[in-house]
Amino acid sequence: MASNFWTSSHYEQLLEQEEVDVVLPLDKEKGITLEDFKLIKMHMANYISKLAQQVKVRQRVVATAVTYMRRVYTRKTMSEYDPRLVAPTCLYLASKAEESTVQAKLLVFYIRKLYSDEKYRYEIKDILEMEMKILEALNYYLVIYHPYRSLSQLLQDAGLNEINMTQQTWGIVNDTYKMDLALVHPPHLIALACIYIASVLRDKDTTAWFEELRVDMNVVKNISMEILDFYENHKMHSEERFNAALSKLPARA
Amino acid sequence: MGDGNRGLSGNSNSNHSNNNKPEWLQQYDLIGKIGEGTYGLVFLARTKTPNNRGKAIAIKKFKQSKDGDGVSPTAIREIMLLREISHENVVRLVNVHINHTDMSLYLAFDYAEHDLYEIIRHHRDKVNHGINQYTIKTLLWQLLNGLNYLHSNWIIHRDLKPSNILVMGDVEEPGVVKIADFGLARIYQAPLKSLSENGVVVTIWYRAPELLLGAKHYTSAVDMWAVGCIFAELLTLKPLFQGAEVKATQNPFQLDQLDKIFKVLGHPTVEKWPTLSNLPHWHQDLQHIQGHKYDNTALYSVVHLSPKCPAYDLLSKMLEYDPRKRITAAQALEHEYFRMEPLPGRNALVPNSQGEKVVNYPTRPVDTTTDFEGTTSLQPSQPVSSGNAGSMSGAHVGINRSVPRPMLNMPRMQPQGLAAYNLASQAGMGGGMNPGGIPMQRGVAAQAHHQQQLRRKDTGMGMTGYPPQQKSRRF
Repeated sequence: MASNFWTSSHYEQLLEQEEVDVVLPLDKEKGITLEDFKLIKMHMANYISKLAQQVKVRQRVVATAVTYMRRVYTRKTMSEYDPRLVAPTCLYLASKAEESTVQAKLLVFYIRKLYSDEKYRYEIKDILEMEMKILEALNYYLVIYHPYRSLSQLLQDAGLNEINMTQQTWGIVNDTYKMDLALVHPPHLIALACIYIASVLRDKDTTAWFEELRVDMNVVKNISMEILDFYENHKMHSEERFNAALSKLPARA
Repeated sequence: MGDGNRGLSGNSNSNHSNNNKPEWLQQYDLIGKIGEGTYGLVFLARTKTPNNRGKAIAIKKFKQSKDGDGVSPTAIREIMLLREISHENVVRLVNVHINHTDMSLYLAFDYAEHDLYEIIRHHRDKVNHGINQYTIKTLLWQLLNGLNYLHSNWIIHRDLKPSNILVMGDVEEPGVVKIADFGLARIYQAPLKSLSENGVVVTIWYRAPELLLGAKHYTSAVDMWAVGCIFAELLTLKPLFQGAEVKATQNPFQLDQLDKIFKVLGHPTVEKWPTLSNLPHWHQDLQHIQGHKYDNTALYSVVHLSPKCPAYDLLSKMLEYDPRKRITAAQALEHEYFRMEPLPGRNALVPNSQGEKVVNYPTRPVDTTTDFEGTTSLQPSQPVSSGNAGSMSGAHVGINRSVPRPMLNMPRMQPQGLAAYNLASQAGMGGGMNPGGIPMQRGVAAQAHHQQQLRRKDTGMGMTGYPPQQKSRRF
């Protein structure tokens, strides 16, 4: 159902962290480690975001595209599904699903503009073929819920809806797509974790408000910890490490 | 014509190429083509898998979009919605298949033998009596039940019309209504673009007045207006508001359609519909749109109902001008009309009270000459070109009657006294002006006024309940 997250395919498709953190055998053979796997996905999320800015689609389209990409890699290998093609194709598909269709030729144009590297170079035909493969890999489940929708409502309810707080929280939500959180947790809990972090950073006392919510605060805290860990380790996610990880994948046919 | 081998050759053709076909396709036996539209083709097939052997499936094949932009957004929208929803009165998506070699996409649905377009047409053209009250009430109740489910899940259908309301003919769910064709449906909780930016939708005859007057952000009330129009059509067998469509511009102002509505419902006023003055077209053509004054509501006489009966009360609430005052699906289901005899039931086609005639509705015509690639193995005797709609349909009817289709015909009951109805069938076929916006393709638009020819054409081509059949209404 479309309005009720708890009866949606998104809810049914949520995974355990251990199920997400699996490097499939074929990628393992190529020497891809779990760290590599995460790093490549993070950089591909950035790639999607950069491309989206060029073709001017909204953050929700980016979020959907990144979620598609992450879901694909719980089922398909990077060796067979080149991330450099999967990433733009997920944006392409998400733009249709979120009703802001972007033409394939426009994507191809901006891919060239962003990357001179031959390995990123894909043609319209490649994107169209990959679109079908991704649809299949996603098992045709395309509706994705995002934390953005509950965010403003929650902030208002908490009396934290001033502009700085809203922007900070929104930014943290954007950053959660650099992790696999959307595959594991319901969006409203991710929203709460982001509010929690933002309120700590901005010295807002939200204890009472959180206590009144009927949610599992342990989950919210765990999500928050994961986000904070991510920020902590962010400096280690250098371009060189990413390129080293990506170079383990076979060059495309 | 009259070529009994046609079906067989169609089949052997598809068997022949089975070896090259992907595995998923081999789980079906193709029977033939049952529909065609801008999106692609619809086929009837039967499953070969042991647990479901012989189950009828409608397979909708989407063409690659011509502009080189992959899977059409319409297909994407339909898949994403159908994958999330499940309701007795909404068509069930059984499977999705992709053929990577030719990049085509197939949606497999439970097959429905009938649709309201065909049921209404059968009564209008072949049977000289109206649809019985039990059937109308049951069809309407189930339609509202499905719609209530969609609306409570924030989905607007946006293209309800008789040909999109299917009725099952199989043994499992006989006479059960299924809302179909979600190509224009959308989730409206958080639209990224205003609704009208995606193209004006809804076949014009069933289009709500707020849309005709240029409303940018519309609501589930547009579906309820369409239900009202369909209700009236079930009662009278004629489309309620048969406006002539303006096709010229991208966002045409449908003055004629509005005029048809005003004539029956009276002129809308700002007193009764306060937001009327905010609608763009209300000001656009003052002379025409606000000039005519139709004061008298003639609705009850048009639908031959007493203005005091519950059926009329419900209908008039569905056809309320102000979308905010229009009855919702949930409210309609609670209406008195559904609490009085005859009560709505599960099988709309078989009245539970005695003495009511069971009408034997025809099965969908199947063109057995076309395979999944859309290739026709044997050309109809008349070439497909403009100006011969009559002979085209003749060819289709010929196929339908002369080719043995044992599997299709088997579960049907023997028609009782159908011959008698048939005799009278040529008489009362009024209002045959392309109901449901069924295709003007094949170049017969110029003959739209020619009722006789169009009616015959419909015999052949108005066969799909699945897709909206218009060529040009999407944009």
